[in-house]
Amino acid sequence: MADERVEARAPLLPSIPSGDQTVWADASSLIAAACNDLQDGELVHGENFSLFAAMSALEIMDPKMDAGMENNGYRSVEEAIENGAAPLPLSSDSTVDVQCLIDIIDHLVACEATWHKGHSLAQTVFSCIYLLRIERTSAHVLLHSYCRIIRATCNAVISAVSDARTHEEEDLFTMAFGLPLKGEGDEKCLSILNSVEETISRQLRACKALSYKKKVLEDVEPLQANADLEEGYCRALLCRLRFRKHFYHVLTCMRKSQGRGLELARKHIALCLSELSSIIKSQEFLRSNVCRSYQDDVEESTTSSGCKPVGFDASLNSRFSAPTPPRAIRILSWKKAIEYFEKLLHDLDVICCFSLESILENVLHFVVQFQDSQPDLVARAHMQLLLVQDGKLYGRDFFYDVISKAIALPEFARDIEFQKNEFVVQLIQLVVNLLKILCTNAAWQRRKLGKILQDWSLFSIQLELALKREFGDMLKPLVDENVCMKVSKHLLTWAEEQTYWIAARFLMLGFKLELYSPNEYCMVYWYMYIILMKLLEKIQLRLSSKGDYRRKGKKKRDVSKDLTRDVLVSSPSILLLQCYISLSEGLAMMLAALRNESKVFEMPNVFNSEQERFIQHFELLQKAHVPDHISYYLFKESTIHASIPIVVKHNYFREAQRISTSLRGSFSGDPGRMQELRRIDQVSEHNRIALNVINKVSAHDPSLSVTFEFTHHPFFAVAVVKRS
Amino acid sequence: MVLIRRQKLLISFDRVLASSALHWANSSDSDCYLGRTFPLKSTLNATNNNSPLVAKLQKLLFRRMLVGVNDGRFFLGVFHCIDKQGNIILQDAVEYRNIRRSATSPMDQRCLGLILIPASCRSSCHVDCSIEEQLSLVSLQE
Repeated sequence: MADERVEARAPLLPSIPSGDQTVWADASSLIAAACNDLQDGELVHGENFSLFAAMSALEIMDPKMDAGMENNGYRSVEEAIENGAAPLPLSSDSTVDVQCLIDIIDHLVACEATWHKGHSLAQTVFSCIYLLRIERTSAHVLLHSYCRIIRATCNAVISAVSDARTHEEEDLFTMAFGLPLKGEGDEKCLSILNSVEETISRQLRACKALSYKKKVLEDVEPLQANADLEEGYCRALLCRLRFRKHFYHVLTCMRKSQGRGLELARKHIALCLSELSSIIKSQEFLRSNVCRSYQDDVEESTTSSGCKPVGFDASLNSRFSAPTPPRAIRILSWKKAIEYFEKLLHDLDVICCFSLESILENVLHFVVQFQDSQPDLVARAHMQLLLVQDGKLYGRDFFYDVISKAIALPEFARDIEFQKNEFVVQLIQLVVNLLKILCTNAAWQRRKLGKILQDWSLFSIQLELALKREFGDMLKPLVDENVCMKVSKHLLTWAEEQTYWIAARFLMLGFKLELYSPNEYCMVYWYMYIILMKLLEKIQLRLSSKGDYRRKGKKKRDVSKDLTRDVLVSSPSILLLQCYISLSEGLAMMLAALRNESKVFEMPNVFNSEQERFIQHFELLQKAHVPDHISYYLFKESTIHASIPIVVKHNYFREAQRISTSLRGSFSGDPGRMQELRRIDQVSEHNRIALNVINKVSAHDPSLSVTFEFTHHPFFAVAVVKRS
Repeated sequence: MVLIRRQKLLISFDRVLASSALHWANSSDSDCYLGRTFPLKSTLNATNNNSPLVAKLQKLLFRRMLVGVNDGRFFLGVFHCIDKQGNIILQDAVEYRNIRRSATSPMDQRCLGLILIPASCRSSCHVDCSIEEQLSLVSLQE
């Protein structure tokens, strides 16, 4: 019996060698017998055993954990190829061959978009058997050139995303273990593609000439056998190949240092978009000439013709995605994929249009505006690569220059001492981090912003302490402040200003991510109001001290008076900030009044109290002392007496509207900010009217229902009043 | 890698939850076996067990072990732990698998680390040992 068993396994065991001078001894019976002797709950284990570690063991044959589990498909790429899963040529009929090729191309685009959206490379683009064994395709020039350019593009995208490190949340993206991603000769992919493109355009010219009954000048072998379809297939292939070519150019141009390639990249983006529209136009022709089986749902199909592509099997390398669980993923439809690429190209175009200015305030504004359109990973990675290159802004401007410009440091203070100042070095690091974080996705960004608030406030505290240490009691009137002290003071004000800016962005992102419930809006707007007030205060402080250098000759009192007026009247960004302040205060008070009078937005007390929620939402801000002395009790105190008539009297929304109208002139050249003004105007108008209605009917009226919606602005709600 | 770690943690956390739930539901200590459910109480090490077979099994700890499973794969790793039901945990395990359906196909391998092989899918189990030891193992079986 025992001998029989050994013989049955004989062919298996030699392939897995035992140690030197040792053999594989069957332990099954010993195990069975010993287990029988074990008590319930007893384990046989060594000293190094830990129950916690044991629980994270990968469970074999568990479909959720075991990526190598036997499925009914092929066991390896070779087996799949031997069984004809990826035939070459694609068909013996040259027309069908071209049709199949176009399906493969379309499906690959769908796979690529799915990959960009966060799935693993192995299960998307590299589910293509032809790509997994690219050398096989060398006889099929068209397919070969396309596979090569796809591989080169994947490499370019991976390197951009992993260099930018914006992929932390989507870390499946850059995982490419075991995939044949790098191959020799990929640098020649463009020249191969160009020659293929040249051939097809000659074929297209030839068939056009034929249809005009002109004499064919050169002897060109047609793309496929059916003369009636020749032109359509030539065109369909050409736009697809050209799209690839230009897309690759876009990626390489955008990586040029100091943004030197951006202008050229824009041209290629425009060409890409026009090829995309030709690709969409070719769908009608491809649909009408289908001779093979349709995919189940034509609208959801991953190819423009609606046919199933040959040569794809995602299960083949599901083992490469180990140790993640092998999940089945849904490839985007061809339509969605084309839409994705259109959006990606538009987002990249926005980056290319940027004027690369070195005023940090404008850079931050630009990034925030860029994020408004919710760009995907690839576009965000390119944004970040442009902003921070070799530790410099755009790889061009040193950050200490950028900072000294931001705090309006006079020329004479920008010396080596300044650059080496430990606080400046720290601040540079903080700014670089901030820029990088602003390029990540909204959820990740908010989390990181909350964390770096701590760093910023710590920096301010340290700087403040150093100031006190070096210059003694600040209250003592200094006859002549030296330059170093002045510089430190400016750094401090500026750092505090940035801290409040980060805090405001942190709170606003919460609306975008829908983290607040309607009965928490009141406290959020209240906190936002506080933060924005502080931000305004710091900006004014910075701007007023800016004049110190310039107007030293004037008497001090005159200067400060002049400036306050100057600053308040002249700076559009300050006025815009005041708009936000009015809106936040107005909404906070309106919500508080509604709660006080009609009990609509009262906290349900089921799971946690209002105070607990206050702590949950603002814990990170409070920990970082942004700002100091803000507590739940202060919130309660300042909102408990709010009532609708008082809110109406204060006219917060009218004020916001007034400012936004006055700002139109100064922002007329900036479409982004003009749109923002329109949104503010609408929010103010709607809320003002709603408030008046509530005031007239009285908030106590039980038939009155008030809800808040974000129909006009991403983070300022609009009250909707209904009477039942 | 963050994602994987998180998933793993989640999985183990699920197990803790499941095990505690089951533990309380049954409220007995007997539902303790590897893989599916761990009681939250610490497990018993079988060092106090008097059975000579268990002692023998204990000597196999830290040896290289080759386990075959139902779907034809083999796992080679260091014997780390076993429970009464025969679920085995191997450390630094490598998976071996035929790359074709035919019996003589070459094998493909990949590293898996810490794995748990449920007794239900185990089809064979071998340990790496010298020839004399093999004899003593066989003699024990009889």
